Amino acid sequence: MRSRSARPLFAALLVLFLTAGCDGGKGGGEDGAATPAPRPASALGPQRGGTVVIGWTAAPTGVNELITQATAITTELVRQLFPQLLQEQPDFEEHPPTFRPLLARSYEWSPDRKTLTFHLREDAVWSDGVPVTADDVRFTWQAETHPDVAWDSAYMKEHITDVEVVNPKTVRFHFAKVYAKQLEDVNEGGILPSHVWGKLPFPQWRGNADWFREHLVVSGPFNVSSWDPQQQVVLVRNPRYFEKDLPHLDKVVIRNVADPASLITQLFSGEVDFVPQVQPSEMKSIQEDPRLRLIPYWFRLYVCVIWNERNPLFADADVRRALTLGIDRQTIVDTLFPGDIARVAVSPIVQSVWAFDRSLGPLPYDPRESRRILESKGWKDSNGDGILDKNGKPFSFVLLSNAGNQQRNDASVMIQEQLKQVGIRAEPRVVEFNSLVNDATGGTFDAMVFGFTMDTSMDLTAQFGSDSVEEGNFGAYKNPEIDRLMVEAMAKPQAQDAKPIFDRIQQILHRDQPVTLLWESQRLSAINRRVHDARPNVLFSLYNLEDWWVDADR
Amino acid sequence: MIRFILRRLAASLLLLYLVLTATFFLLHLAPGSPATVILEDQRISAEQRENLRRVYGLDRPLPVQYARWLSAVARGDWGTSFSQQRPVKRVVLDAVPATMILAVAALLVEQAAGLVFGIVAARRPGSAADHAIRVVSLLLFSQPGFWLGLMAILLFSLAWPILPAGHMYSVGVDEMGSGARLLDLLRHLILPAVVLGLAEAGSVVRYVRSSLLDVLGQEYIRAARAKGISERRVVWVHALRNALPPLIQVMAISLISLLSGALVMEVVFSWPGIGRLTFDAILSRDYPLVLAATAFSAVMVLAANLMADVLHALADPRVRDE
Repeated sequence: MRSRSARPLFAALLVLFLTAGCDGGKGGGEDGAATPAPRPASALGPQRGGTVVIGWTAAPTGVNELITQATAITTELVRQLFPQLLQEQPDFEEHPPTFRPLLARSYEWSPDRKTLTFHLREDAVWSDGVPVTADDVRFTWQAETHPDVAWDSAYMKEHITDVEVVNPKTVRFHFAKVYAKQLEDVNEGGILPSHVWGKLPFPQWRGNADWFREHLVVSGPFNVSSWDPQQQVVLVRNPRYFEKDLPHLDKVVIRNVADPASLITQLFSGEVDFVPQVQPSEMKSIQEDPRLRLIPYWFRLYVCVIWNERNPLFADADVRRALTLGIDRQTIVDTLFPGDIARVAVSPIVQSVWAFDRSLGPLPYDPRESRRILESKGWKDSNGDGILDKNGKPFSFVLLSNAGNQQRNDASVMIQEQLKQVGIRAEPRVVEFNSLVNDATGGTFDAMVFGFTMDTSMDLTAQFGSDSVEEGNFGAYKNPEIDRLMVEAMAKPQAQDAKPIFDRIQQILHRDQPVTLLWESQRLSAINRRVHDARPNVLFSLYNLEDWWVDADR
Repeated sequence: MIRFILRRLAASLLLLYLVLTATFFLLHLAPGSPATVILEDQRISAEQRENLRRVYGLDRPLPVQYARWLSAVARGDWGTSFSQQRPVKRVVLDAVPATMILAVAALLVEQAAGLVFGIVAARRPGSAADHAIRVVSLLLFSQPGFWLGLMAILLFSLAWPILPAGHMYSVGVDEMGSGARLLDLLRHLILPAVVLGLAEAGSVVRYVRSSLLDVLGQEYIRAARAKGISERRVVWVHALRNALPPLIQVMAISLISLLSGALVMEVVFSWPGIGRLTFDAILSRDYPLVLAATAFSAVMVLAANLMADVLHALADPRVRDE
């Protein structure tokens, strides 16, 4: 059974490796539509027990997310150990995300919305039996904001002035001002054990990641059983978890497989049950393997070309618009992504989010109009070399993308070819990621293919705010109206009240084209069919790990 | 001899210092910094970025950073890993055993294969076996390590699943006894050690063949044959004994290429050694960790060179006199 299914896969992977970088062409359609499951899920429903092996290309950096590098797997792991007060729900397509009670059983706002009171669960205890209290919540906030702890998400707590312990199970957050993201900011970060971790003074936290692992008590569904650096972290069920029937699994092993090709091989060989992200080129092989299931979901990432407005070539909004009209984004999407797993991006607020302005559509591919606009701006091919020029200077620039991202590298080459038809010379150049970031933050580039991830706050200030040139507004786009509207939107106590403002912001960006939006795509997770009820989503790949279960016969 | 060793040791220490100094400045001159890697979130304010630079000690002028780092290293303090927030010394020491196990196993494979195939080729120069060995060893030598590794995984873990595709131990190693644990380790070691060893064995084959051919043409070998000693004894006892000494130096030097090859193999086979550690540390601009890992590799290379020099000097007194 195994060797029969492995043979075509072997051939497929052989071709993949021999033609590294080439796309496999059109793949299948929706997940599982054409492939019957080898056996139905157990009719008995969730079974208790069993082990699931999760493969990840990076290793977790530690159990204390405030001091270690915030890699995706570290955040995922820490969420299993230290639950937040509330759990953000992936229901943001039609409205701002809702929050489900987790460590807190309820919360209420003061009439002026400057204080927020949480009531903690009575049955929440640490794994050593000590109750989770309001002291833990206050301690966590103190750690998060301490300058020597230097948590990289501390900016999310900057408007919280105090965390008051009302009684052991009631805690109150005080805010300096009212704004849209208050709940998100409060909820960021898991609650830490003050009775254990409070024994190490904050200035000594950095450099002592081992200490936290050696003094680990948790309140989440899993605890750490063993930790082999660069190999695996083994999680076991926490018997004191407040949801008494959860988790279903006895053990979860997070295996670190640094090489993506090796990771996918281990998925096919059955050594790994779940891979959070697979490449579109692997989609077909996974769909053809009856033991595996593909889980696609829209991700909040958009890829674009950033035009550096410090360069006079890109300072004019009409020219940027002409550049967008000269790039055939639909062809790029169709070529790079098999099936329907990507679409042309329209706005920096992606289409799967409630705040997206649905009246907007992508600018058409119209090279003739593009050429007309450029000629109206004085660009002519005066020497007949096929490249437009003005005042003796050709319309020529370098288009950067980062090494290791084949899709973006390929897109750059396609853009080069398309813009050539308009009379523009784009020279694609692939650089190492750190080098790309260095050029981005320093403003030393012409144009670059870059990806941005959005959170549910819809705050676009970092990417398009006039004061964010070193932070995320790499193209140095400046528009006072955008600045004013962003402040206005973020000041709304209820995010949905800001929808008309978000619409206006998107319309201005659509007009000004500070970036040419290329695509937004689905993330593809792959899982062995013996694992049930896994629901990875845009928030977390291990979002509902406590609900996962495996067939009893394994 | 002792003076010779001391002189070589002093030269090695100077070289180590130069390697580390060059690495320190090259790392800092390379685009990007821990701050750009750690602070990928564009919403982090400039003030907070500055605070993190202070915490990491990156806010000081480069010469000051260098002087502080050097004086700490002189006291045996290699600093704290930026990415893992653990003492660098502990992070590196955690990874050293895995690399040593892989390198030694690969060395055994390399030398065994090099010796056997080198002898077979030398015994019948120009034969079909000689040509076949030359072609295969050249092929193995010229293929990129990662490609050989992936092909081995596809063959022996997927198409014909008899060996694990990676890692040092199985998932349930915690529940194994020491005997089963050792067997599990050996099972996981086979693929990376064989691939790494065979990839490097090509050059050993060529050295053994050429050295043995030289010896087999000597007068005393002809005399031994004339005495009626069996061909097997002539080759394995008389010829090989004299052909091997120059190869000991080759073996010491090949340890260097095995260490660099291990970097790639460790990534492909998820082997938790220094190579992978260095790879990850470079990507995350974890300066203290990169420097310590470089120091480890440099010490290994210098030790191998020193060993080769000493062995060479023992075999040839003229080298000592120079």
